Amino acid sequence: MSKTYEQINEKIRSGKAVVYTAEEVIDLVKKKGAEKAAEEVDVVTTGTFGAMCSSGAFVNFGHASPPIRMTDIRLNDVMVDGGLAAVDTYIGATATIPGEKGGYGGAHLIEDLIAHKKIHLHAWGPGTDCYVRKDIDTWISIDDINDAYIYNPRNCYQNYGVATNTSDRTIYTYMGKLLPRVKNATYSSAGQLSPLLNDPHLETIGMGTKIFLGGGEGYVTWPGTQYKTNVEEVNGVPVAGSRTLALIGDMKQMDAKFVRGLDITGYGISLAIGVGIPIPVLNKDIIQRCAISDEEIFADMVDYSQPTDRPPMARYSYSQLRSGKVEYQGKTVRTSSLSSYSGARKVASILKDWIEHKEFTLNQPVMTFPKDVKLNKLQERGC
Amino acid sequence: MERKLKIEFEESNVQDSVAYILVSEFDLKPNVLKAEISGDGSGVMILSLVGDEEKLTAAENRLREAGFVVCLTKHITRDDSLCWHCGACESICPAYCFASDKDTREIVLDSSKCIACGACVNACAVHALKLDL
Repeated sequence: MSKTYEQINEKIRSGKAVVYTAEEVIDLVKKKGAEKAAEEVDVVTTGTFGAMCSSGAFVNFGHASPPIRMTDIRLNDVMVDGGLAAVDTYIGATATIPGEKGGYGGAHLIEDLIAHKKIHLHAWGPGTDCYVRKDIDTWISIDDINDAYIYNPRNCYQNYGVATNTSDRTIYTYMGKLLPRVKNATYSSAGQLSPLLNDPHLETIGMGTKIFLGGGEGYVTWPGTQYKTNVEEVNGVPVAGSRTLALIGDMKQMDAKFVRGLDITGYGISLAIGVGIPIPVLNKDIIQRCAISDEEIFADMVDYSQPTDRPPMARYSYSQLRSGKVEYQGKTVRTSSLSSYSGARKVASILKDWIEHKEFTLNQPVMTFPKDVKLNKLQERGC
Repeated sequence: MERKLKIEFEESNVQDSVAYILVSEFDLKPNVLKAEISGDGSGVMILSLVGDEEKLTAAENRLREAGFVVCLTKHITRDDSLCWHCGACESICPAYCFASDKDTREIVLDSSKCIACGACVNACAVHALKLDL
């Protein structure tokens, strides 16, 4: 049995497509087997809603009269990039107010823009023959700027390590607050709902795949930064951070409920964004892989009190992690998720709803992503 | 029943044993959840008290007569319009106030268990948790 993208889209357009979320499909495949399930189901929707610092947004303010070439740009006092054209900027998610470590930053700006809040723009430029003006002080909103689109160089991490702390003091990391002496552990993947754990070798996900991004429609544009493939697999999925995706989406379509600024104590600012990717059931192998459950997906725990070299300490399944506690060397370690499972579930079910209501069809990728990638280390050398 | 009290004291009564009064005169079972004394001898103590309702009320009055400022403690509050149900708070709370609901998978807060330690406040990246003592 096999289906094509066109056949699936035809069913979507006629309102007859059968769509399951990556959670719902687990029981179906268990009950009916992959062969039968693949005949019945056309699309499986996935979802994730977690933090990713490698996020940001391109914005074009429009020209004022007289015009200015902005080189030093503040939005609600947050310093954003002044290295593009006259009135373009990139709001990096982790950008901060100069002199401050956290509090309010680029990710909050992105959330506030999407929430249609007024944003204070204060910018300066050198003054040139073609852009005579040297400063501007005004208020903007997403409704009156020309362009605003999220471009995340890295998202949807395919699995991620579990963090703990063996030292004697509480440490504050991008993996959250880690109590001393392995008292707790944090993890971040949506597990059985996570996009890249349901299509682990990116058979259907590539450049041009249409997705749910922050409540609107977006696209996969490129392999994400730090994309790598040489990671140990168990049950066909990696046990540590592996593949990633670069994503794009129009902020004017988005909903601030799915795009949240995070102020992570002791670390800084990050952005949580809801991402949902549809997986076309082209054959029974694809649905078999979508049927993977939290019991079958594992992640290694590592010690974040070590500044470098973090060898795996233990390996847990996501169902163990989600139970609220795991065992380590005979001791109970309490666990916290750092990404929202209920949010991931909402994303997958909204995407399912869009497809069932003929509002969203599937794109065949125009380019598939690399199969064999290793990461380079940063070398420190004289020349 | 259990009642959590915030007891403020000053230099004039910092030497008094509140716990002894509560045990010997009212047969209550006190548990100190938090206590702070500043350099000027004033301070605040948060007690969990278990005992008869009548005795709890009588004990509160007795402490007020002895010059202590007594009120019911506040506990952690959550702004549900901000919470995105990640779960970062869950493993931080020593009193197990937070748990993931089995059906909705949302993080449920049971503030009756709260011991007002405040450990969760800076674990929340969306500033949804507040503790005003």
